[in-house]
Amino acid sequence: MRPPELYFIDGALPETPAPDDRPEPWTETRVVGSRRTRIDGFDRVSGAAVYPSDVLLPGMLYAAVLRCPHPQARVKKVDTSAAAKMPGVRAVITGATPAADLRWYYSRTVFTKLFDPACRFESEAVAAVAADTPQLAWDAVRAINVEYEVLPFVVDERAALAAGAPPVHDGGNRVAEPEKYSRGDVAKGFAEANTVLEASYRTATEIHCPTEPHGCVARWDGPRLTIWESTQGVYPVQQRVATSLEMPLANVRVIGSYMGGGFGSKLQADKYNLIAAALAKLTARPVKLFLTREETFLCVGNRPAANMKLKAGVRKDGTLTALELTVLGTGGAYPAGGTSLVDWLVRDLYTCPNVRTESTDVYTNAGPARAFRAPGHPQGAWALEQMMDALAEAIGIDPVDLRLKNISTVSQAREGQPPYTTTGLERCLTEGAKAFGWHEARKRPKGNGPVRRGVGMAAGLWIAGSGGPPSTVVVKLFADGSANLNMGASDIGTGTKTVMAMVVSEELGVPLEKIQIENADTGTTQYATASGGSKTVPTEAPAVRDAALKVKRQLLEIAAEELKAPVNELQIDGEAVVSRRDPKVRKKISELDGVRRRGLVLGVGTRGPNPEKKAVDPFVAQFCEVEVNERTGEVKVLRFLSANDSGRVMNRLTYDGQVIGGVTMGLGLALTEQRVLDRQTGKMVNRNWHDYKVPTAMDVPPEIASLPIEVPDNEANISGAKGLGEPVTIPTAAAVANAVYDATGVRVTESPISPMRLVALLAGKRAGR
Amino acid sequence: MLPNFNYVRPATLSDAVRQLTPNARVHAGGTDLLGCLRDGVFTADTLVSLSAIEELRGIRPALDGGVAIGAMTTLTTVASDSRIAERYPALSRGVTAAASPQLRNQGTIGGNICQRPRCWYYRGEFQCARKGGEKCYAAEGENQFHCVFGGEVCFYVHPSDAAPALVALEAMVRIVGPSGARSVAADAFFVLPSKDYTRETVLGPGEIVTGIVLPAQPRGTYGTYRKVRARGAWDFALAGAAVVATIAEGRVGRVRIVLSGVAPIPWRVPEAERVLVGQRLSAKSAAKAAAAAVEGAEPLAQNAYKVDMLRGAVEEALLELA
Amino acid sequence: MGGKKDDNERRSSRGVTRRGFFTAVGAGAVGAAAIGRAQAPGEAAIATAGEPAKVALRINGRAYRLLVEPRWTLLFVLRERLGLSGAKAGCERGECGTCTVLIDGVPRYACTTLAVEAEGHEITTLEGLMNGDKLGPVQQAFLEEDALQCGYCTPGQIMAAEGLLRANPRPTLDEIRTGMSGNLCRCGAYTHIFKAVQKASELKKAGGR
Repeated sequence: MRPPELYFIDGALPETPAPDDRPEPWTETRVVGSRRTRIDGFDRVSGAAVYPSDVLLPGMLYAAVLRCPHPQARVKKVDTSAAAKMPGVRAVITGATPAADLRWYYSRTVFTKLFDPACRFESEAVAAVAADTPQLAWDAVRAINVEYEVLPFVVDERAALAAGAPPVHDGGNRVAEPEKYSRGDVAKGFAEANTVLEASYRTATEIHCPTEPHGCVARWDGPRLTIWESTQGVYPVQQRVATSLEMPLANVRVIGSYMGGGFGSKLQADKYNLIAAALAKLTARPVKLFLTREETFLCVGNRPAANMKLKAGVRKDGTLTALELTVLGTGGAYPAGGTSLVDWLVRDLYTCPNVRTESTDVYTNAGPARAFRAPGHPQGAWALEQMMDALAEAIGIDPVDLRLKNISTVSQAREGQPPYTTTGLERCLTEGAKAFGWHEARKRPKGNGPVRRGVGMAAGLWIAGSGGPPSTVVVKLFADGSANLNMGASDIGTGTKTVMAMVVSEELGVPLEKIQIENADTGTTQYATASGGSKTVPTEAPAVRDAALKVKRQLLEIAAEELKAPVNELQIDGEAVVSRRDPKVRKKISELDGVRRRGLVLGVGTRGPNPEKKAVDPFVAQFCEVEVNERTGEVKVLRFLSANDSGRVMNRLTYDGQVIGGVTMGLGLALTEQRVLDRQTGKMVNRNWHDYKVPTAMDVPPEIASLPIEVPDNEANISGAKGLGEPVTIPTAAAVANAVYDATGVRVTESPISPMRLVALLAGKRAGR
Repeated sequence: MLPNFNYVRPATLSDAVRQLTPNARVHAGGTDLLGCLRDGVFTADTLVSLSAIEELRGIRPALDGGVAIGAMTTLTTVASDSRIAERYPALSRGVTAAASPQLRNQGTIGGNICQRPRCWYYRGEFQCARKGGEKCYAAEGENQFHCVFGGEVCFYVHPSDAAPALVALEAMVRIVGPSGARSVAADAFFVLPSKDYTRETVLGPGEIVTGIVLPAQPRGTYGTYRKVRARGAWDFALAGAAVVATIAEGRVGRVRIVLSGVAPIPWRVPEAERVLVGQRLSAKSAAKAAAAAVEGAEPLAQNAYKVDMLRGAVEEALLELA
Repeated sequence: MGGKKDDNERRSSRGVTRRGFFTAVGAGAVGAAAIGRAQAPGEAAIATAGEPAKVALRINGRAYRLLVEPRWTLLFVLRERLGLSGAKAGCERGECGTCTVLIDGVPRYACTTLAVEAEGHEITTLEGLMNGDKLGPVQQAFLEEDALQCGYCTPGQIMAAEGLLRANPRPTLDEIRTGMSGNLCRCGAYTHIFKAVQKASELKKAGGR
């Protein structure tokens, strides 16, 4: 097998051309910022929206994958003879099948075979089947006999570096040398502190659990492969599939359209894409391959556990003097950023001259991690924000005041400590506290009986909320005044399409119902990076505005000619072009002959570069009130408020949706979610939604208040928006932990704060342990 | 994905019994059965659906002022029946606390008490003792959700929220089989692993649960069910207690306390009941009874919390009746 | 899932032969009626493993005559055989609610309902809530309150809400939360869903169907 040509992107992304000139920021807006229902809402609630898992094609087969049941094993023999003979079975592929003799890249340098004899985590792919029905495919999978050499394993990252720990890879279990960061002198900082606290924290491994499982439908038309994929980004999938199949990018078309949630786990291609493609090729039939729910718990990513030890020093007046953090984590069996960004908040959230962090990433025999909504940040917040709470108590000041005391206007951890374009953190804290009734709530009695009330708060920022190039979009204004927007980005449920239509409407006056959007298709739509990291709106909205402005400029030029008025005197008013000087000089867009003759007016927009030597981060502060039953350890979240500085609010309705969604996901981290791997066998025991507990309607407060701190960031980009989806989930779990402490006096440093854990801690407290 | 099976839907109970050949399984609501088949927990050549047998559905008055519930009556029907809610609140609360609305709309009371263990080893890809393997994986493994009473050889907890109430209410379970009909007291219906770790109930080959009979309750009888769970819905009990007590002139006469989530069967705690007889229900007596209820608990490595939680659940259940 | 199974298990998972089956159920003991034909009193309906049996289903007011195998779930038949993709596949093990449909007006999981068991019952899917090309009141309310994000759990949420409101037209907030507790929304739109169910109740009261 010769190495294929690699399509990997290293370093910074290339920049698309900057807009010719930077338009003025919006001052008053008609559409942007209002509450608008989704432009694709009808499709989503009527059932008309076709998700990839809904796709049915003539002659379509169904595939299933045989996966290794052991956390570490070597495949010695695969006997598919019985399976291949079963009725309805059209193809069985293994590592010995030439068409499946493909490479799978975990990174530029780390790769395995598609079906590799070395299985380093439970659920590594071993063989696959295509059959007439999914039932028959699974019958055939069950009929394949595999002989494994079962090997010793390590699944607990805390044991991975111990002497004698079974090696996941030949070189041992360190992914790399520990990542170190340092500024100032922490020893000096601790010496200057009046109070120094130190504590260990841990967050459990979380699974993404999008409701639509990961999967695709693959179909060949001669040399061309089309993949309907449930994905956050069609282009990254295209690149990876083309690389592994050694195909021209042009011959791989990935269609995203609707998708049922990803949260970071669907930013990339997966082995199943190649499996589906290989089976479709061999059978000359379309193949549908969606993972079972159980498989999605094992092999398509997770937010890995973080083990954190944090030492912090503070002066009596609340000035932080030093922070020192060590992190141990794992990305599973392959390099996957097991400790990525866990230390970022410690490095950057609060003013502190002396900071040191050290992160150790180890291999374990578990499914590789993937980006998960604000990678690293909720884990770091769990430690830092509980520590801030403890420091505030130790020096006797309000937790909000301690944070206000340490707000930074520069990003201390970035090269050259660039200033933030905007920071609304102070307003998030003060206005959030006011809206929540923080000070009053703090003073209220906790209750004498077994049911205690408490309040807690926490804050955060998100490292990557700026978005950035490259992005290209096309806006077409038709002769009747309706418009079409063509962009490559997926709408992962955040309302991207609606926000972009609002931008078009803002600039061109086209009503939302006359705007159609084509998106997420490498064959027909423009280049976009994957939708994730809260960067979609700040990436795409400026490009869309740029495109709309280019249409507008042409439109006004056409109108100027027909109205015999100077261009700079004209503006768009509703669906007409009107003179600013004389409102009688007007013509409806649909009546402009120049547009009719051309058929349409086309604008190609691009995302300009981010400002130089500036940092663009969104900020957040959250407040909550809980009730704890000290007899049983049950925690009920009574109310929750999230104050967010994410720049301009683009659509208040979907903005609030992001806020309640991020908080709800954070409540899962706080209270219920944890992957459990069996210590005896290394196998995951809770690979379903009964045993792995994502929050239900009963686990959220009746209302989650969203308080936008709207500081349009006109320096960041020409939409003024910063990211929102990640910051809303960052401080949530820590805020709950702080509220539980306020209610009970028990600090829960390990997530989740389950009744099991809390009732034991409360009993320990009563017993004076 | 479900493996293959034959399907038969008899129209009469006697035919259903005939159809129940050795590797056939009863399909009541199907919520538990289909999950087990999908997960390969056990196999079935044939599913015998009871859905066409009308006589197994519905709630009717029974002799001596009791109430009879057909085995195929859904949990939702039981939960929304006013007679049950008024006279047997422990049961009403038990079934309401089970699973999710959709599953309560499908799951039946008969199926609920015949559920297979929810142990994640039993349900998972582990060849455990109950499935004919060598060992109980929970004993040395991830046992935070396992039992603290009555385990000995197999440490699952009984999954039903209805069963503790049925035991507390001294209900009878009606059974029909190849050799005719019989009735078994609810507290004799469930089988401890130490007695037979391959089955959970006394049902013999070809036997089907046809219904539950709730006896009339003396005046002044009160009941409740308190369930502690890790998540607000679709979660089994971490610890819970069904309590039925007859209170006359402020003092407890007869009382039954039956625990959920802590033993492989609904776990009656006579010591705790004795503490209460003749007493007023107060914070003090409730605490004393709750302490007695956890006597003898034998936690595994990761479930010691259940002792405290259970004490709390029993206390709260009793205080609710006070 | 995956993995090697012992021989016994594999054999049984493949099902028994037709002849074996009829022997097993006791020939002559009862008359056997194919699924789908009106059962004479006392007759059992029978379908054989791995073989298609005729089943009559009533879905969204239309009658369908289909060939289904005993192990096919209602969800599989709706989505993959009939193209009624309103019911989504989320877990196929009764744990998430994306496949919620109404059976005789009551919300149930289509993934844990065998198609053969749905015979004789009225099945309503998301598609069945439409009034022609107009949204039904629950759908309208979900759209207006933005009670969704990725939208994949939404059909199931809407069906659960529809079932809830049919049984309880004016639910309290607590009743709404309980009624919607069998449907996971990983995007976390719950608090908007609560508002949507309240609004749907109002729309229905005002005459929306």
